[in-house]
Amino acid sequence: MIDRVYGVALNTFRESIRDKVLVTLIIFAVLVMGSARVIQPLAVGEEAKVIKDLGLSAITLFCVLISILVGGRIVYKEVEKRTIYIMLAKPVRRWEFILGKYLGLMAVLVVSLVVMTAAYYVILLIMGIGAQLYLLLAVLTTFFQLAILTAVAVLFSTFSTPITGAVFTFAVYFVGHLTRDLKLLAAMSPSPVVKVASYLLYYLLPNLSNFNIRAEVVYGAPLDPYAILLSGLYALVYTATLLLISATVFNRKEF
Amino acid sequence: MLTEVTPRQRAPRGTGPLAGILPAVLIVWGFVGVYLLQLSLDRAGDSRMREKAIAEMAYFPSGRFVRQAAIEYQGLAADIVWLRGIQYYGYHLMSDRKYEWLGHVFSILTSLDPRFTGAYHFGAITLAWDADKPHEALDFLTTGMKANPMSWQVPFDAGFICYMVLRDYDRASTYFEVASKMPNAWFILARWAAIAKAKAGDFQTAREMWLDIFKSTENRKLKELVVRQLANLKLEEATARLQDAVQEFQEDKKRLPADSEEHPFYYELLGAGYIERVPDEPYGGRFYLKDGKVLTTTPPRQRE
Repeated sequence: MIDRVYGVALNTFRESIRDKVLVTLIIFAVLVMGSARVIQPLAVGEEAKVIKDLGLSAITLFCVLISILVGGRIVYKEVEKRTIYIMLAKPVRRWEFILGKYLGLMAVLVVSLVVMTAAYYVILLIMGIGAQLYLLLAVLTTFFQLAILTAVAVLFSTFSTPITGAVFTFAVYFVGHLTRDLKLLAAMSPSPVVKVASYLLYYLLPNLSNFNIRAEVVYGAPLDPYAILLSGLYALVYTATLLLISATVFNRKEF
Repeated sequence: MLTEVTPRQRAPRGTGPLAGILPAVLIVWGFVGVYLLQLSLDRAGDSRMREKAIAEMAYFPSGRFVRQAAIEYQGLAADIVWLRGIQYYGYHLMSDRKYEWLGHVFSILTSLDPRFTGAYHFGAITLAWDADKPHEALDFLTTGMKANPMSWQVPFDAGFICYMVLRDYDRASTYFEVASKMPNAWFILARWAAIAKAKAGDFQTAREMWLDIFKSTENRKLKELVVRQLANLKLEEATARLQDAVQEFQEDKKRLPADSEEHPFYYELLGAGYIERVPDEPYGGRFYLKDGKVLTTTPPRQRE
């Protein structure tokens, strides 16, 4: 089983690495981080904060774009090019195919994160800001967020076109960062229907604000290791559930 | 290619462990796990919410920046900041009652949507009373008047703050007059302008003004603030009435009324006819005397 999943993952990784979208996004991210040098004189007295913010935000934004754009067509592409028939003709189970696709894409995202983070630290060192390891915690929680978002992209990819899938995944990303407002709405609404619906959505939708610790990291505010551990566990359970849904949907498809 | 595949090798549709009820059960359990983890995360997050809220607010460099970043979605961005602002206000109201970023939040909000008069109304009143920053509230309203020259609500709020907090009756009267001449202005504004002109600073007028504010808004938080202010006013009025009676008693009898927990001073005032009835303490506390001064056992924090 492991060999089969590994085979699909390796194939997906190789294919995605050759993808022009991926390379373009990584180059853009590095350029945005490099542009910190240009905006440095404008950030009167707050250069270190602005450069740290800009770098971490660029890493998150471009990795999210990779996850949405590459992940959104990962399964659909196989169906469209009919390569799915070759794949399923082999003794690969459908859920192994989905898991392999997901892990391959996650490997691509890990490589992208490593490249961008390395570039970020080089820029921090060149600017004389100092490369604090503390900042890596924000990269770690970004990885947790990407794990969920990629699972969402893979799920949509099993039954929709790349464009629709990308739009849906982006909508989940957007709403996922506003779920706190759903909880507020539930607490404040006098209507029991709105209350129940808001609480249900709050716990059902991925709460991506769990992973946003950029402000704390940039300000050097104390972080709770227990909360980071919990957010990692949350990402793991949510991702596993989404992959299970994807595999079930894909298992019922007729090819 | 397909012809080379034997049916036994190929993974068929709808078979294997994912075909039955098992995936549905596992998915439900997965979401139960997600729910439990989110509960734990919410609990862990509560302790650092204050730091997070401050960092979040400080994260917005200025309303102008957010305005540009929001491109054509400034209205939506303003709505999100409004929700965040209410959340920030509510959190501090229930905890430390310190509102250091409140002005900043409302300034961002009105930069994004300068015609959001509800934000000026709520922001100015909470800044003046809860955050104890009446001058900042007036500056905020001045910006609002420039952006909304035909709105009666904004100069009215400025007049209200001048009247109630700053006790600057001339300025309050000017603002009320300006507001009363605006289209669709509230009919009672002319009366308010006259009251301010007459420099009437009594409890009854203040109570009427707060009640007018209560009737004028649908904002639940603002209504709660008015209820608190009315209770405060009632307490101030009762304290002032008792203080006057104690002073009168002292002048006549050359001593203070006897005061103990079992027999509070106001019973002697009542018995001697200095007060007609014992005034209510709106927070349920007890009035007592300390060096001739009437005080209450309700802690100040409870009265804010």
